[in-house]
Amino acid sequence: MKKNLKEILSLDSLKIGYVSGKNENILLPPLNASADRGELIAVIGRNGIGKSTLLRTLTGLQRLLGGEIFYSGKSIREFSRMELAQKVGYISTEIIKVNNMSVYDLVAMGRFPHTNWTGKIEIIDHEVILDAIEKTSMSSFSGKFISELSDGERQKAMIARILAQDTGIMVMDEPTAFLDVAGKYEIFHLMHTLSRNNNKTIIFSTHDLQMAISQSDKIWLILDNKLIEGAPEDIMLSGAFDHLFNSSTVKFNSEDGTFSSTKDTSGNIFIEGEGSKRYWTEKAINRAGFKVSKEKRIPYIIIPSESDYSWQLVTETGIHRFITVYELIASLRGTIFGPI
Amino acid sequence: MKTVKQNELSVDPDSGRKVRLIFSGLLLLVVIFLILDIFLGSVSIKPVDVIRAIFTNSHGDFETIILKFRLPKAITALTVGVALSLSGLQMQTVFRNPMAGPDVLGISSGASLGVAFVILGFSSNITPESLNGLGNWILVTASWVGAGAVMLLIMIISSRVKDIMTILILGIMLSAGISAVVTIMQYFSNETMLKAYVIWTMGSLGNLTVSQLNVLLISVSAGIILSLFSSKMLNALLLGENYAGSIGLNVKFARAVIFASTSIMAGSVTAFCGPIGFIGIAVPHIVRILFKTSDHKVLIPGTILMGGVVMLFSDIVSQLPGSESVLPVNAVTSLIGIPVVIWVILRNRKYTGSF
Repeated sequence: MKKNLKEILSLDSLKIGYVSGKNENILLPPLNASADRGELIAVIGRNGIGKSTLLRTLTGLQRLLGGEIFYSGKSIREFSRMELAQKVGYISTEIIKVNNMSVYDLVAMGRFPHTNWTGKIEIIDHEVILDAIEKTSMSSFSGKFISELSDGERQKAMIARILAQDTGIMVMDEPTAFLDVAGKYEIFHLMHTLSRNNNKTIIFSTHDLQMAISQSDKIWLILDNKLIEGAPEDIMLSGAFDHLFNSSTVKFNSEDGTFSSTKDTSGNIFIEGEGSKRYWTEKAINRAGFKVSKEKRIPYIIIPSESDYSWQLVTETGIHRFITVYELIASLRGTIFGPI
Repeated sequence: MKTVKQNELSVDPDSGRKVRLIFSGLLLLVVIFLILDIFLGSVSIKPVDVIRAIFTNSHGDFETIILKFRLPKAITALTVGVALSLSGLQMQTVFRNPMAGPDVLGISSGASLGVAFVILGFSSNITPESLNGLGNWILVTASWVGAGAVMLLIMIISSRVKDIMTILILGIMLSAGISAVVTIMQYFSNETMLKAYVIWTMGSLGNLTVSQLNVLLISVSAGIILSLFSSKMLNALLLGENYAGSIGLNVKFARAVIFASTSIMAGSVTAFCGPIGFIGIAVPHIVRILFKTSDHKVLIPGTILMGGVVMLFSDIVSQLPGSESVLPVNAVTSLIGIPVVIWVILRNRKYTGSF
């Protein structure tokens, strides 16, 4: 087998889970996966399947119950806590609440495995800390207390902290979980930049599938019976995402990489017209439980055009006009059209 | 000074100077209060006589009062203040609970149970007065074991229950349970033992024999050294055990060291001076407000100085200088500590943070 020199992490028949008393509670079948330098890897799986346990095991916070984790070819079992902290940094979903701790102080915590027993910050540490704060564009906040930051700013400070830790791998458990849309994009952009420009391997779990598919280099898809790894597109084309939820009410659309709830359709409807108004009308029609048919027959909808500003619904009883999509959908709801 | 250099490398170039200034101020206060504590008392002695008593080898009444009573008492007050405040700071960080303190979570009760076992459990031959040398070490060790056992119990509870107030209530329950056990022990003990124990529970800074003071000083010094050694670990523990582990801290080792120094300091004080309330919980908060930092490289020396200042001040007030009567020092420390604790509770409602 050819050795991959870029490989920084590999899981070999890894068993993860909890130990309670003498019982080992193994969550998943043995996992095999790998990560290269500079890769952005999304860990996807349904709630409670063991994503957090996997990430905690990678960072050494939880014991492995079998198999191996190799960091650059060396087993995790051979690392001391301090050595491991120089290989892999970790952000959990836990929010740090400490009063009187400035952003600088928080980021300086990342130097823990690099300083002597007194924890004294030397000039070189100081420079690394300032650089980490700079890279996460938090410079104007460095003197601010973390209790005064917004969720997004705090998450950036946390990322600056593991940057200062100077590890090749960053593990993040749902880094965008409690952020608004703008904050989410900002964090994803930052993660992307760090993996590209600073050659950091970032392994993060997320429930935002669309974001994971569009941003990450690789996906570790955890299913009940195995872990599938590959480029998002490979996994999409293989149809594996369909098994993500073992529920018949959620359906994965492999055309655009989104999930939708499968509903009983109330019928087919044809839409005449083009452009963004057509796109959004289609969405609304789908939500109301109709499929968009390809052949034009009554009933059908005409999208507003330059000559007519309203939506027209053509049925056997005549043409109905609507000023908004809302009104159109309201009149469609509860009716059944055409062959199902 | 290490702490100062550390702060010169932070974002605010002024903070190093500010920290140095506060440290100098606190040091000055310690010296002033130490002198005042020796000079002031129920018997008014002229300053000239005080100085003569300390620096000459004469043997008058004033010399006895100063050298045998006031000086040991002032040193005891300083030591007790430092020990209780430092153990409070460490407990607040380890439990991530702003309400933690040796008296609040039942650590002092645990220590008094240890003392009760020695005084009430063995024989009527052991009384606080008759304890000397080895006897003192037995008493103090029993106190450490009692304090350590309660610490461990609170730790186990904290790992299951995250709510700060619930842990506080459980701490109160624990204290109540322990005093129930002590009451039962009192019921079954004879008169001499009982008298010895009751005198001990009244607690005082002034009843220590020279050999007891030696044991206290040695124990507390050991605790302070362990605490100074732990400053980096305490900083990491502020982030919680998961993050602390992920940045390379051996959490079990850190806990063992911090538990040991906390039990030694809180246990020793309780063994010789009885339970003294609210210093351990209040002083660390005063220090945090003063220095506006969460860095233990600043907080630990700050707490040592502030603990000394507050306890010496309490002792001076309790003697009601110029009057014949003396207040229990416990009442004075409560009156100083309680407003701080109330302030912390009210502020925490707003932030819902740990501190």
